[in-house]
Amino acid sequence: MSDARILVVDDDPQIRRVMRMTLVARGYMVSDAKSGEEALEAVRNENYDLVLLDINMPGIGGLEACRLIRASSEIPIIVLTVRSAEKDKVEALDAGADDYVTKPFGTPELLARIRAALRRAPLLAEGLPETLLLGDLEINFSTRRILNGKTEFSLTPKEIDLLRCLASNRNSPVPHTKLLQTIWGPDYGGEVEYLRVFVNHLRKKIERDPSNPRYLLTVPRVGYQLHIPPKR
Amino acid sequence: MNINLGTRYLKVLRTVCALALIAVVTFLYSSVFSVNTTTVALTYLLVVLAIATVWGLFEAVAASVLGVICFNYFFLPPVGTFTIADPQNWVALFVFLVTAVIASHLSTRAKERAEEAIQRQHELERLYALSRNLLLIDNPSELAKQIALQVAQAFEPEGVAFLDRSTDRVYRAGPKDIPTDEGKLRDVAVQGTVWHEAASAITVMPISLGGRTIGSLAIQGSSVSETAQHSIANLAAIALERARAQETASHAEAVRQSEELKSTLLDALAHEFKTPLTPIKAAVTSMLADGSCNPTHQELLRIVNEETDLLNSMLTEAIQMARIEAGKLQLRTSPHAVSALLGPTLEKLRGALEGRKVEVHIPEDLPLVMADPELVGIVLWQLLSNAIRYTSPGSAFAVRARAQDDAVTMSVADCGPGIPKQEQSHIFEKFYRSKDHRDLIPGTGMGLAIAREIVRAHGGKIWVESEPGKGAEFSFTLPLAGKEVAP
Repeated sequence: MSDARILVVDDDPQIRRVMRMTLVARGYMVSDAKSGEEALEAVRNENYDLVLLDINMPGIGGLEACRLIRASSEIPIIVLTVRSAEKDKVEALDAGADDYVTKPFGTPELLARIRAALRRAPLLAEGLPETLLLGDLEINFSTRRILNGKTEFSLTPKEIDLLRCLASNRNSPVPHTKLLQTIWGPDYGGEVEYLRVFVNHLRKKIERDPSNPRYLLTVPRVGYQLHIPPKR
Repeated sequence: MNINLGTRYLKVLRTVCALALIAVVTFLYSSVFSVNTTTVALTYLLVVLAIATVWGLFEAVAASVLGVICFNYFFLPPVGTFTIADPQNWVALFVFLVTAVIASHLSTRAKERAEEAIQRQHELERLYALSRNLLLIDNPSELAKQIALQVAQAFEPEGVAFLDRSTDRVYRAGPKDIPTDEGKLRDVAVQGTVWHEAASAITVMPISLGGRTIGSLAIQGSSVSETAQHSIANLAAIALERARAQETASHAEAVRQSEELKSTLLDALAHEFKTPLTPIKAAVTSMLADGSCNPTHQELLRIVNEETDLLNSMLTEAIQMARIEAGKLQLRTSPHAVSALLGPTLEKLRGALEGRKVEVHIPEDLPLVMADPELVGIVLWQLLSNAIRYTSPGSAFAVRARAQDDAVTMSVADCGPGIPKQEQSHIFEKFYRSKDHRDLIPGTGMGLAIAREIVRAHGGKIWVESEPGKGAEFSFTLPLAGKEVAP
């Protein structure tokens, strides 16, 4: 994956400079943009494999740019946040980001995230059914779409991977570490907090009442479990 | 003395006039007009009534006596003689006297009441002027000075003295200095009872509001009635209380605005300072990960990385503190296992914990707690990094959790130098840094203050148990999650 094309979007020239150097040294091809508007322009005109998007930018800002990019593209987006409060992370995910990194970050951490985002095929066992029925929801793993009665919406690749991993261990708990490493890669393992943000985010999409989930359950001290109700 | 002579003289004059009136009537009826005795008697009665109403009892009694004598001599048969034995005389005299007494009595009372009413009105006007002047003053110390002055101006007593208990100062005003010493003023203020010395016409009153005595006021002179004195004392109390409340309110407002400004400034500054840290850390970690530097450079880079992290955490703390102070702390609690709260923090400190022994004692069956995991993580991070910072590299520390009543107590215990008793109550204060460690261990002094705010917001308590030389154990409580099951 080292010849992937990455778009770096940040209004701070020093950050763009450092990122360019470190990413190029790893073999990536780098373009940069100074603002949300420029990023949208760039994504429209060229093909990129990943977008690194800073949240704190003047103009339309990072979150809005994220939403707009996501509206017309499936391209992986990693958001760079300054505030590490959970609600800011959730906001980023809600806006369509695949992942987030808090500034200031260590380069190895960023590179691990980039690798995880670029990896398309999850390390999962095959032999899973293509669709899953959870109450009123019909989840299609290959199209990554959920049908809820009349409404239909899509899940991000990571979200589908998470559901798949939990579904393949149906009704039994999957430890945090296993989930993290299966979906994000071997560089991960201990970021339980991180996983929690993702799970909460996914619950908002598939649970009728996210604070009282029926399907995506927390198993205290262990991990998470997907409760698939038996077919009637 | 002068006044007495004057009134006496007036009285004598009036009596003479009264007698003269009777004489005139007698003359008129005996020599000029011809009337029957009833008319004469009634006319005398009228004169006595008039004299009693307009002048007074003494004059009226004199007129009555003369009237009876004249009536007897000039009009009652046999005319020209005194017939004392005749009971008719006594009836007449009796009637005249009773009329005189009653009429003069009623008239004096009416006059007195009218005078009282006028006096009261004057006093009210003066009280009004005093209240207007006093209530305009906002500054309490200025007001204290002005009270004596204004009272002297409004009521013109011989002397005024005012003791302000809060500053223990005495202010005097008026043409003369009251011969009361300050001790007396203080006594009255302490005991709260009025002291009056009739001889020198000095009254010392306590000034109290809401049951507390806030001062005392001494007035010399009889120009101020007792009711007015009480009113003045009340007015002074109200004015003082008002001025003080005003000052407190504006001071509190100023403090609040200053705090808000500080918080906003802190938040803005911290974010600004964090911006350059991003490229610094990215560059340094990139070089470290590269591995192509010689060992010395590797070590130097590691130092730069550690210091960057330190700077970052100090700025984060500053931002947190600013947010907490600005009241923007939002708690989002849900049931959690204590071990799940601890795990991420231990992970974050993995690097700092290298080579250190951490014992974790958390029972398997510990009940769930209601906690905001992010914020409790901050508390644990603070306690653990303090334990790391303030103890020597070889010493171990322990993290424990136990259930107690309706809460779970978590504690971090170390074998460090311990904390002296007199410092233990201060360490949770903002910006407090121990004198012994200030120069050796960097920090902003806000960590424990932040931890305390977070624990309090959860409804818990945080405290330390320590003895110098025997390490320290920081503990805090979190409420149980009850019978709810975690989602």
